[in-house]
Amino acid sequence: MRYIKIYLACLHTAFSRAAAYRLDFVLGNLITLLSNIIFPLATVLIYANGARFSGWTMWEVLLIQSVFSMSNALASMISGSVLWVTMDSIQAGSFETVLLKPLSPLFFIAAANFDTGSIGLFLGGLAMTVISASFTGICGTGGILLFLLMFISGAAVMCGLDLIMAAISFKWVGNSRIPEIFDSIKEFGKYPMGIFPRSVQVLSSLILPVSAVGFFPASALLGRLDIRSLISVLPCMLFLLFGVWIYNRMIKIYEGVGG
Amino acid sequence: MVAIKAENLVKSYTTYKRGSGFKETVKSFFKREKVLINAVDGISFEIEQGTVCGILGPNGAGKSTTIKMLCGALFPTSGNIDVMGYSPARDRMKYVRKIGAVFGQRSQLIWDIPPVDSFAMNKAIYGISDEDYKKRLDEMTELFDVGEVIHKPTRVLSLGERMKCEFIMAMLHSPEIVFLDEPTIGLDVIAKNQIREVVGEMNRKGTTFILTTHDLEDVEQLADNVIIINHGKKVFDDTLTSLRNTLGSKKIVDLTLTKPYNGDEINGAKVIGRDNEFDISLEVDTEKQPVTEFLKSLTDHVSFRDISVKELPMDMIITRIYSE
Amino acid sequence: MCKAVAFVTYKEWSAYRTHSLVSVFVGPVYFMVQYFICTAIYGGNITLGGLEFEQTVRYFGASALIGYLTMDFADWNLQMLVRTGKFLTFTLRPMHHRFFALSQKIGHRVLGFFLEFLPCLFIFALLFKVEIIPRYMGWTVLSVALAFLMNFYVNYCLGMTAFYFVQANGIRVVYQLLGSIFSGALIPLSFFPEVIQRIMMFLPFQYTNYIPAMVWTGNNSIGEMGMTIPQAVLYQGIAVIFTALLSEVIYRSSIKRFTAVGA
Repeated sequence: MRYIKIYLACLHTAFSRAAAYRLDFVLGNLITLLSNIIFPLATVLIYANGARFSGWTMWEVLLIQSVFSMSNALASMISGSVLWVTMDSIQAGSFETVLLKPLSPLFFIAAANFDTGSIGLFLGGLAMTVISASFTGICGTGGILLFLLMFISGAAVMCGLDLIMAAISFKWVGNSRIPEIFDSIKEFGKYPMGIFPRSVQVLSSLILPVSAVGFFPASALLGRLDIRSLISVLPCMLFLLFGVWIYNRMIKIYEGVGG
Repeated sequence: MVAIKAENLVKSYTTYKRGSGFKETVKSFFKREKVLINAVDGISFEIEQGTVCGILGPNGAGKSTTIKMLCGALFPTSGNIDVMGYSPARDRMKYVRKIGAVFGQRSQLIWDIPPVDSFAMNKAIYGISDEDYKKRLDEMTELFDVGEVIHKPTRVLSLGERMKCEFIMAMLHSPEIVFLDEPTIGLDVIAKNQIREVVGEMNRKGTTFILTTHDLEDVEQLADNVIIINHGKKVFDDTLTSLRNTLGSKKIVDLTLTKPYNGDEINGAKVIGRDNEFDISLEVDTEKQPVTEFLKSLTDHVSFRDISVKELPMDMIITRIYSE
Repeated sequence: MCKAVAFVTYKEWSAYRTHSLVSVFVGPVYFMVQYFICTAIYGGNITLGGLEFEQTVRYFGASALIGYLTMDFADWNLQMLVRTGKFLTFTLRPMHHRFFALSQKIGHRVLGFFLEFLPCLFIFALLFKVEIIPRYMGWTVLSVALAFLMNFYVNYCLGMTAFYFVQANGIRVVYQLLGSIFSGALIPLSFFPEVIQRIMMFLPFQYTNYIPAMVWTGNNSIGEMGMTIPQAVLYQGIAVIFTALLSEVIYRSSIKRFTAVGA
């Protein structure tokens, strides 16, 4: 309860900050939105040239990619700035100020730096999802419930990835290219899983469960989720927990416990 | 009553030697040479509740590391700290509610929005009740005279105004102990004095202050006790009066003369530094000869183009204390 | 002089060699995804956008490799110099800043050649067994060299916008956005409708990546227009000359403006 109150107070400051620079806020959001929704263009062009991902219509593939964008945006709002804030404060040597608050440091960093810059992407992803779904049709209430479950799992994976990156930045100080590594892995979640070989499928649904970001929730919405995929909810949640654990572990090392 | 008790504090870091040449770099990929550095090397002290204690020392002496350990941000490598019954780093979550901290060069305010919004965030974080919050905020804004300032975006505030708001931010939750790390660095005289006044005022009401600085004036005007640290070791720990007695009351006068001078004394003051025949430094013992009187009669002895009066610099204090 | 600057840049960036290693991971991962996409979409088709399966795979490999050989931050760097006023120090040197920046780029990319290009080339060729060696080596080298210059002159022009606009950064971002669509790194331009391909002939984007990647794959009938390789390289050369001249014109008027304002 106390944590919810604090989070709301932090949200309030995040929005006052955005309001202080309205134009930057709008333009920043627009640019984030545009640069993140370019990749579905490739899908459109592929279908326009008469090719297809076998078993998938264009709108179905676009649905996967829209859900992916939405999940990406949600995670980015919640935990996207943890990496940059950690990296900057480690480099500047000001990480202590975070440790002076009577709060979990991770919670404080994430809450105090809620990223309003991804709101546009979230809304854009949502709009694209609705449009795509209006062409594909969706599979009843059960589908929506399953979708929500998988969507939350996917967002958990994304947040977990953010935290792992941030944890790495404690050791790999000042490497601004860390996110590229993780962005490349996320690529596997943007397409129908069937196009990848078996080994990659296992990897992307159980070990680094990025399939849960776009593919699984979209499949759920379409009513074609392989019921066995539900098991990936588990690794997704583990992934988030692992992210939290490794980040807190890094803080402990920073404080000098056994480090 | 003792508020803070530190015993044999040690904080060491391991770093790795880095080669510069290509060969060295390749070698360091496989085998790195460890170097152990003791930033704080066996310091013990006690600080009484309700006092102001100044921690002095040159840059890199271990002041910041000590204060970070006292705040609970760093674990000591060995040794014990007891602050009001807490072990700071181990009981951090409970402990930091009882303390406040102002780090002169690391703002806790949010740059783009008015300080009052940052305060509101701290209100939620520390779970301060509406009533206490209002009372405390009114009290502090009046003390610092920043009633309007706190409603302007932080980025447009002057350094002095911002520093005052940093203080409010750190003291909203009525901490019993407040740590100040270089609180007056870069401030103009008026802002410095205002901040010193508030610290004095809060101290009279019972708050304990621990302050690191390399401005001797901060200490002279505020501190009851002084701890001096150099190379990670404690070199002095006593009352301010005792420090004065040890050092005497000295000021440094830098002169740029118009004619070369090679003697050892001018107007009763010893020459303690000489860059060349024209630029010399004098040490004035203000107990024997108040500064104003010294300056009045100075022109009778020499003619000079430029003059400045300074406090005893930190390195000189430390050499003095060593030689005692 | 160029050699000295290039060498210093090379040394300077060597400190960041772990940054380059990121490319050795990221490049192959993206390539793998593109490879599987190709396998999936070529199912029943022999050619798509005029390209056969192998050609498309080779195209994506070449496109990534060309990126390592030609990328630069000339735009960002120059904008930063102008905004912070550091550009002034360059006007005092007996060396054209553009030449200095080009030398820097050469040093930086030599490093990229060893730390990014070669490792990825080996991974593509040996691990993924892609026929990555260009069929027409001479034309490919020429085309990549032109892309190197093209990218530099375009970015330099973008950098100079900082002399005129406070929000020059936005112009850069918009260019990058368009570039990510139309340079051919996302998908070969031959997948686009013919109209767009024709328009692209007159815009800078394709000359930095799409054209050299097509030349690299050895396709002698490029896009809807069916350009031959010599034709494509010729157009590329014209584009480079035009952009270089443009950059000179902008530079002269910028300097006038810069010195007039007094900075």
